[in-house]
Amino acid sequence: MHPLKWVQDRFGWNNIKEALLDRKIPNPKPWSWFYTLGSATLAVLLVQVATGMLLAMNYSPSPDHAYDSILYIMNQVPLGWFIRGLHDWGASAMIVLMLLHLLRIFVMGSYKAPREMTWIIGIFLLLVVFGLGFTGYLLPWDQKAYWATAVGVNIAEQAPFLGPLIAKVLKGGGELGALTLSRFYSFHVLVLPALLALLMALHLYLVVYHGISAPPHPKGKEPPDYQKLKGEGKSFYPHSVFKDIVAVAIVLGIVSFLAIYFGSHLGDPADPNDSSYNPRPEWYFLFLFQMLKLFPGSLETVAAIILPTVGVIVLLLLPFFGSPAERHPTARPFSMGIGLVAVTLFIWFTYEGWRSPLLNPRIARNPMILEGKILYTNLKCAYCHSMKGEGGNIGPDLAATIPIRSDKWIENHFRKPQSVIPGSKMPELNLLDEEIYALIAYLRDIGGGGVSVVKAEKLFQENCQTCHKVDGKGGDMGPDLSHIGAFRETSWIKAYTENPQALNPDSVMPEFKSSLTPEDLETLARWLSSKK
Amino acid sequence: MKMHRREFLNYGILGLGGLITLSILTPAATYFLSPIWKKGEEDWIFLGEADKIPLDSPTKVEFVQRRKDGWMTVEEKRSTWVVTKDGKEFSVFDPTCTHLGCPYNWSVSKKEFICPCHNGVFSMEGKVLAGPPPRPLDRYPNRVENGKLWILPVIKKG
Repeated sequence: MHPLKWVQDRFGWNNIKEALLDRKIPNPKPWSWFYTLGSATLAVLLVQVATGMLLAMNYSPSPDHAYDSILYIMNQVPLGWFIRGLHDWGASAMIVLMLLHLLRIFVMGSYKAPREMTWIIGIFLLLVVFGLGFTGYLLPWDQKAYWATAVGVNIAEQAPFLGPLIAKVLKGGGELGALTLSRFYSFHVLVLPALLALLMALHLYLVVYHGISAPPHPKGKEPPDYQKLKGEGKSFYPHSVFKDIVAVAIVLGIVSFLAIYFGSHLGDPADPNDSSYNPRPEWYFLFLFQMLKLFPGSLETVAAIILPTVGVIVLLLLPFFGSPAERHPTARPFSMGIGLVAVTLFIWFTYEGWRSPLLNPRIARNPMILEGKILYTNLKCAYCHSMKGEGGNIGPDLAATIPIRSDKWIENHFRKPQSVIPGSKMPELNLLDEEIYALIAYLRDIGGGGVSVVKAEKLFQENCQTCHKVDGKGGDMGPDLSHIGAFRETSWIKAYTENPQALNPDSVMPEFKSSLTPEDLETLARWLSSKK
Repeated sequence: MKMHRREFLNYGILGLGGLITLSILTPAATYFLSPIWKKGEEDWIFLGEADKIPLDSPTKVEFVQRRKDGWMTVEEKRSTWVVTKDGKEFSVFDPTCTHLGCPYNWSVSKKEFICPCHNGVFSMEGKVLAGPPPRPLDRYPNRVENGKLWILPVIKKG
């Protein structure tokens, strides 16, 4: 016997083929392309599984390393940026496709008897996918991750009776931290995927068992016999499969394009002490985020817990309302009306949430500066050196010496201190090249960079002093800037001076972008950032 | 005609399916297999003052290596045996035996490196004198600059 035939025999291939591939599908015309949405969702899910497995190979679910490991994926692993981009955009694609799939089923009344369980399991699948989204975006441990999760957990805390307990279980403890991250990681890669696989298998089994619903019959006509329609249809393979695979190719093409063109964002590292950050969730939670704004504080629970719960319950019970014989949209004006309102509200709230003013100025920051700051702490530089009065006095005050030295000089000094200052007590630190550059970036930032103090003071007197005070001199119209450097970094000050209203719509300060040169603005910003 | 259409669909499914699989599999394989063509980058490490190494007397020198380990920077304490006959040319040996990786020691009385695990014996130049070691001691490339001894922490097989 032919070996292939033998294997097929042992697995009962003929029966499988008959039950799956040769099964007849009722003619889906003219809606056949709408029938591909489920398959497209499944395909994107498979991409999520594959890219997720790859990402997990280089990800470390601990607050110390999570952010750095994502940076490593983005910058060091070949095509890491693309794999992460696929996973990120794939998540959004999943949600979009699932919602469209749900909409198709809803409008065609396909959820009605005998396919109630298929629909109910589908709703649970949707919830699991939202759960995957929610647990997934904590993992990079950047500002958005941290704060959006903090908000999500606080919402759970508002649930009646069990709220605080639920929040504690979600966080794995009292505070959002290491325990939360590893817990979310387990949920994201083990618990929810296992659940998803199980529900998915049931969903697909039911789809095959009941057969694809036929397009709805016109209003007022007798429902046709399903078995007869099925008998007249074409086989699943290759007729439906071909359309499915064309749809999948289009969807994956779009996702790949988005991953390549827009990439995947990574914000600043999570900073639990940063009170200026204004968190916003992923787009598919924006409608909830926006809804919260419409309710006064005392009714917060209604928007945060009760309405979403009611929404899910209505969806779950949907198959039990209305006559199973009436499937055509025109025969179900009430359902269609409710559905239209729901879709409109979802889109409207998402849009409103999306365009609500973003209070966080997106200023391109130099990641080297942050890297340098961490190194400065880890290497205990402050033990010997001081900056603006803080630190030891064995070495020179860096704020005074750094501005007068060139980058090359500082680099040589880091490599071999004695070669540029004979007899220097500075130890050789054996730093890596990139560590040296990071430290230089940080020192430049702190020291205000090379700046002519005379020029900066003159600029300040001419442009700012009428309204602002520094070191006791100046007007009272605007805030005292004597310690501005302790709160804002150079790039922020520069951006604010250029166009105050972009960062603070209520500001009455005039813009200086048109009256000062970029060099002057930079000088001013550097000088101000050294005022601590 | 009917057969014709079926055939077309079959090829379409195979072609598009293959294209999709390839377009996902290629980047996935690049990512997964990337360790194969990843180059290790090492910097020269300062070992010590060259004139502190006594002539004709192997000296154990310890040093701290800072290196990148994925997304982390780790510090490792490591050691070497440094040998010089004239204070100009240096040999820097990896401190483990080439047989099975045990740490060996310099016997001052016998003037030999002796590995206690399986009685491997090496000369001051690192050559195998007795025992099971399959090759001479492994070395680190080194250079002397302004009286300072630097090594590249990449083993050169002996």
